[in-house]
Amino acid sequence: MRPSFFHHLHPPTIPTEQARWRHTLGAGGTAVFLMLILGMTGILEMFYYIPTPEEAALSVQTITYHVPFGGFIRNLHYWSAQLLLIVSAVHLLRVVFTAAYKSPRRFNYLLGLALFILAILLDFTGYILRWDVDICYPLLTGTNLLKTVPFIGDFLHRLAIGGGEACTNGLLRMYVWHIFGLTLPVIILGIWHAFRVRRDGGIAVPPPQVRTDNARISRNELVRREVLAMFIVGIALILLSIFVPAPIAAAMTEGTTLAGEAKAPWFFLWVQEMLKWGDPFIFGILLPLGILALIALIPYIFPKPADSDIGKWFPKSNRLAQITIGLVSFIVILLTLLANAN
Amino acid sequence: MQTKPTTFHFLLFIVSGLLLATLSLVWWNSSRQPQPIELIPTLTGETEYCLTCHADLPEISASHPVETFGCVSCHGGERLALNADLAHSTMRGGGNPSALSVVETSCGGSNCHSGSEADDRHHIQRVTTSVQSTYAGAISNILFTFGAQPDLTARFGIAAITDENSKTGITALQAFDPLNANHPSVQKFGEECLTCHLHAEPREGEAFARETGCAACHTTGEHNLTTAIPYTQCNACHNRGNYDLRTMTFVERTDHPTQRIDDYYQPIAQFTQCEYTLDCVDCHTRSEVMGDGDIHNDQASIEYVQCKTCHGALEELPLTKTLTDPNDIAFTLAFLNPVVDLKLGDTILITEKGEPLWNTKVLPDGTYEMIGKATKQYFTFKPVMGTACEQKPDEQESHYCHECHAVEK
Repeated sequence: MRPSFFHHLHPPTIPTEQARWRHTLGAGGTAVFLMLILGMTGILEMFYYIPTPEEAALSVQTITYHVPFGGFIRNLHYWSAQLLLIVSAVHLLRVVFTAAYKSPRRFNYLLGLALFILAILLDFTGYILRWDVDICYPLLTGTNLLKTVPFIGDFLHRLAIGGGEACTNGLLRMYVWHIFGLTLPVIILGIWHAFRVRRDGGIAVPPPQVRTDNARISRNELVRREVLAMFIVGIALILLSIFVPAPIAAAMTEGTTLAGEAKAPWFFLWVQEMLKWGDPFIFGILLPLGILALIALIPYIFPKPADSDIGKWFPKSNRLAQITIGLVSFIVILLTLLANAN
Repeated sequence: MQTKPTTFHFLLFIVSGLLLATLSLVWWNSSRQPQPIELIPTLTGETEYCLTCHADLPEISASHPVETFGCVSCHGGERLALNADLAHSTMRGGGNPSALSVVETSCGGSNCHSGSEADDRHHIQRVTTSVQSTYAGAISNILFTFGAQPDLTARFGIAAITDENSKTGITALQAFDPLNANHPSVQKFGEECLTCHLHAEPREGEAFARETGCAACHTTGEHNLTTAIPYTQCNACHNRGNYDLRTMTFVERTDHPTQRIDDYYQPIAQFTQCEYTLDCVDCHTRSEVMGDGDIHNDQASIEYVQCKTCHGALEELPLTKTLTDPNDIAFTLAFLNPVVDLKLGDTILITEKGEPLWNTKVLPDGTYEMIGKATKQYFTFKPVMGTACEQKPDEQESHYCHECHAVEK
């Protein structure tokens, strides 16, 4: 039987090892599924969302309360976006902890990292699109941080919000960034990332000569597992969306722009906490970028893992990379908890 | 290891069932939401959904029909939200948009009750400068008594207020801050005795229940606004206990006053029959009670209606006016509280300042009638002229009349 389109997207067979849950945690595949949901629910939201400062928050209220199943669709979009960040982080950790980034997958590691950054920026711009009283403070803080960059600060600021006051003028830019400026790169890099997974020989396992398990599964079996995983994630998403509504607050009006919470969205709380330490450029831009650079350089400057270690959890040969990314994760989580407690 | 097709099919069956179940949960959850009730007030043209939950509220007043005003133009709030917390999160003044902190945007919005004196739209300006709001007389009395100021001229109010065009000569009051006072009694006064003005929340107790701001007087029941204000509304402040000046405390009464004449907070006070039969607003005018737009020194300098206003004196009849202008304010007031059927050509009593006593009428035989604004009771009364009254023309304040006409308690 000739494979269907969906089957055809997969290789005819893959090593059984690559397809084990305990090996991949299903993180990459779940991320793809979440992005599909985000795309579909996002398009549905665009039918009602009005990207003008006067109407934006009201149109979000219309979506939430008056469009049939609008609140549910919005909740799905919200929860998919939050889960995407978690799943992407898990994916990154898995790749480092199983030494999967080793050449020839070094470039794809960078593609994946870029996708992660884009996902964070998409989450942030999506949060800003609510345009209610809770978004102004984070928008102002975030865009003012851009201004602190030497030489090109004003340019970056203009690039982000298009000039003027962030909380009165920034909406259209945020909208276009969200819908096109960030989403298009995600689509392109995402397809590239998936293509490179296949081009680089699938999910990382030791090369055939040092492989212990040479069993393979068919694409039919792979698709079955994917379908099952999608259904399970789908159920979790639906339940979350029914019982935990996405945040919403009162529309911004003249004089109430800063009336809301002075708190960054949860994925930037760690940066907000660091801003308390001093100079905003150093702690709000340089340090996060430094951490990002450190993570990006793992495949290039850290000791190379042994071939036989690729695809194994916590191998000895890339201990330093594990400790580095583990420490970064620990600090980010700790700072997030600290910021949340304050 | 391959998953056996049968195992997989079983798993898929179960998981698909669960997926369907959660999807039907979505449907169930959406079907149990209340059906939104839409309202597009003609004044704003902006859809609001407050009636989804608040359809059973009585109409606030005939002058504010919900079809015209909706809810949001007065109360604020998130007009589209169907979640109570979100919908109520931006309401003006909580449940009371007439609270003086927000009144300019609610009652004063769109120049409804805020505007020029010439148009008689300056209601908020009148209220915020009135002694009911500034409490200026009480504050200056206390400050003078305890040596904190050299005379009884008002310098402080509950909130800072300016009125450069004030005809009284007092163009500004500073905000009174009892914490700045040197004398402990003034501080105590600040703690204990500032619950009477229009900014203040009422003390606990059903008998003293009132709102703040405009609603302190104009809201007499659940969700209503009226100019038919019964004396009980006034008594929420004006008969709810007494001051103990030795300890500088307010002693709240614990009984529920029922007998108007005997249960007044000052037992020595004297009343004539009309003073305990009529409602306060039957005699006391808008400018006395609500202010006239100028900052006044104290209650005595704004209150001017006396017995004489309606009854005249031995040698003079009370002032009257024949209504010839269809735009006369008397018609507006009678329209807002339609207890009388006022017509062009009717002759009514007016006060010394020319304010219409629009619920009175001069009858053909030279006597007068009055309809109670809150009770709709019908009264007739006579002028003093032509009676056996021996009152001197220059002694016309009410306390002189009380000497003969106060009722025995």
